[in-house]
Amino acid sequence: MSSPPGTPQRSWRPSTAVRSAIAGERIELATLLRRRVIFVVGKGGTGRSTMTAALALLAARAGKRVLAIDVDAKGDLAAALGSPPAGFVPRVVQHNLSVLELRTDESFQEYLNIYFKVPRVARLTPLARVFDFIATGVPGPRDMLVVGKIAYEERRKETGGGSPFWDLILVDSAAGGQAESHLAAPKAMLTLVRGGIIRSQVEWIDALIRDPRRTSTVLCALPEEMPVVEAVELNDRLRKGSGVAVDVCLLNRAVDEPVTAAHRRFVAAMTEPEHESAVAERLGGSPTPLAAGIDLQAHLYDTTARYLRQLRNKLPMPVVPVPFIVDRTGLTTTRAVADALNSRLA
Amino acid sequence: MSGSDAVHVPERRRSARSEPAGLGRRLGSLDVVICCGSGGVGKTTISAALGMAIAAAEDKRVLVLTVDPARRLATALGIKGIGAEPVRIPKARLRKAGITISGDLEAAMLDMKQAWDRMIERYSPDRATTKRILRNPLYQRITDSFVGSHEYAAIEALYELHDAGEYDCIVVDTPPSRNALDFLEAPSRLTDYVGSRLLSMLSGGPSRFGFRAMNFAAAPFLKLADRLLGAEVLAEVSDFVRQLQLLYDGIQGRARSVYRLLRSPQTGFVVVTTLEQGPFSEAEFFCAKLREFKMPLRAMVVNRVLPDVFRDSGGVAASTTLVEDPKVAAALSDELHLRVSTDTARFVGRTFLNRNTLAQREARQLAKLGRIGDVPIVRMPLFSEEVSELEGLVRIAKAL
Repeated sequence: MSSPPGTPQRSWRPSTAVRSAIAGERIELATLLRRRVIFVVGKGGTGRSTMTAALALLAARAGKRVLAIDVDAKGDLAAALGSPPAGFVPRVVQHNLSVLELRTDESFQEYLNIYFKVPRVARLTPLARVFDFIATGVPGPRDMLVVGKIAYEERRKETGGGSPFWDLILVDSAAGGQAESHLAAPKAMLTLVRGGIIRSQVEWIDALIRDPRRTSTVLCALPEEMPVVEAVELNDRLRKGSGVAVDVCLLNRAVDEPVTAAHRRFVAAMTEPEHESAVAERLGGSPTPLAAGIDLQAHLYDTTARYLRQLRNKLPMPVVPVPFIVDRTGLTTTRAVADALNSRLA
Repeated sequence: MSGSDAVHVPERRRSARSEPAGLGRRLGSLDVVICCGSGGVGKTTISAALGMAIAAAEDKRVLVLTVDPARRLATALGIKGIGAEPVRIPKARLRKAGITISGDLEAAMLDMKQAWDRMIERYSPDRATTKRILRNPLYQRITDSFVGSHEYAAIEALYELHDAGEYDCIVVDTPPSRNALDFLEAPSRLTDYVGSRLLSMLSGGPSRFGFRAMNFAAAPFLKLADRLLGAEVLAEVSDFVRQLQLLYDGIQGRARSVYRLLRSPQTGFVVVTTLEQGPFSEAEFFCAKLREFKMPLRAMVVNRVLPDVFRDSGGVAASTTLVEDPKVAAALSDELHLRVSTDTARFVGRTFLNRNTLAQREARQLAKLGRIGDVPIVRMPLFSEEVSELEGLVRIAKAL
């Protein structure tokens, strides 16, 4: 595959420290986008939806036919792609890019419909509730609904042709633990279900998830203590539990423009009593509050660097910082993140 | 003012005069304080600091019950680890860290598995049933992953501790769920499920309500489930459900007592949130639900708020000039007798403006809090919790 056309404007400039820290640890965007299915995982609030949407934009820009799936179904993924809430049927949001939202109840009916030719009827709803209860106890069925739907989309072919309908499926997984059980579901299911017609389906889904060339995960983290700890733990459990590959860890909201001595000298000089009023007059406001901005920036930069080091020590895959985009969520932010990712992933 | 202080030191709520008493005193008269909020807002830290503030304000025996595998909390409290057995935090150590407590402060971590096992024991009609349930392979998985199972275990443990009466005040840190509401709904949800008519269809025998199991409605479902899961799994499920139904009366009775405790005037809820969109909406929703359920909200802690300095209008004007005026760097170089590059001027301006954008957004969220009701709102500045030493926790406790 060729690299995305055009040279997107870089909205963010990597500092020397961060640049050298990244060196030798990059993953090529092209490699990542060559997968068939990518699960974007991470604790709530780590920017999963934005990262999924940004990767989807990049893939679509590279000419791939992309399906973005929201497992949490809170509508965040559609919003990040500038679209109103989608439904269970893929909705086209732009050329080459569709979004779909999974909800357990609907998934259950569709699942029965796809695999067992059970007609979709409203009467199934109370059954779905019971099913929900069993499903919490039997690892598999409910998670299988999610994984099964994803696998079904992966297998989907163009009408009348043999080529796949989607080139890449990006999954905005549910928060931490849930994503884990989705991914581990086929494996767990295989040990549990020896009979039933479900077994053969589970077998090929399991093979898809464990094939690192076709399926991988992208782990999201934040430069904060608990999200970092949880990202490391999640990585371990994902590998052990489901055997899925983890391609890259994205450290979201990274602040990596350092405060230099020149910045500090400048702020100190402006706020000196002998200059303060003259400077205030020239600038149209007091420069004193700006010191707080520089201090906070320096603090956030140190925090980012500390957690970046920590993640790199503990994770075997590349860890890539993604700049803190201050805009509100939505397509504008997603585009800025996509551009940043594009310049970060070689 | 030194800038780094502005970042690190918690500031007191500005309207401190209208709320003379700190949260320690305000909540100190309660038997139970429940900290709720979305995951990742710093609930565990706030719970520990609240416990500390209460023990400082009142001569009481205070227990902080956390559900977090809280290595960091243990470190912050200056003890080696927190387990199911309560650990006392030495007064001398707290004094050294800057807080004198008149009461006693202990911390314990909830053991989820133990809480469930004990519950099954308590509600089983006989030992044979207990054994059968504990042995069922589905049991562990249900307790691990059933929606609200952690919440239920936390409530059970709280109820038991409260009932035992060993502590004057118990501060509970609720499990990090996607839905803070899960905590309130856990008891009724469990009761609903265990008593559900639909579930009894599965149990393969006449249910406690007298429905025939293999009745008209159930048969197609069982057939279907059989195809889906295979017969063995279904047999396990059916056995488990049948056992679980024997516990129904106990669980239902306990749910009633638990709700009585949660609604008691001796109980108080403290909602913890940040000003980020997700957690904040969740907190608003949760407060509304508390009102609906007639459960007493006593305070709101807004964590990680940007300091007010980032909304200073002079600062905004100055920053804007630095970013937008191409001649400003040269002019300031002359004024300050310092070579200032355009890049430096822009960087300093942009840094402030970025934070200003966030601070404005936060202020809009904070303004919405007026709707939540007449409870004290405590703002904790960004990074006040980043210090994983006891001193950091003490500072938060004092700010509360």
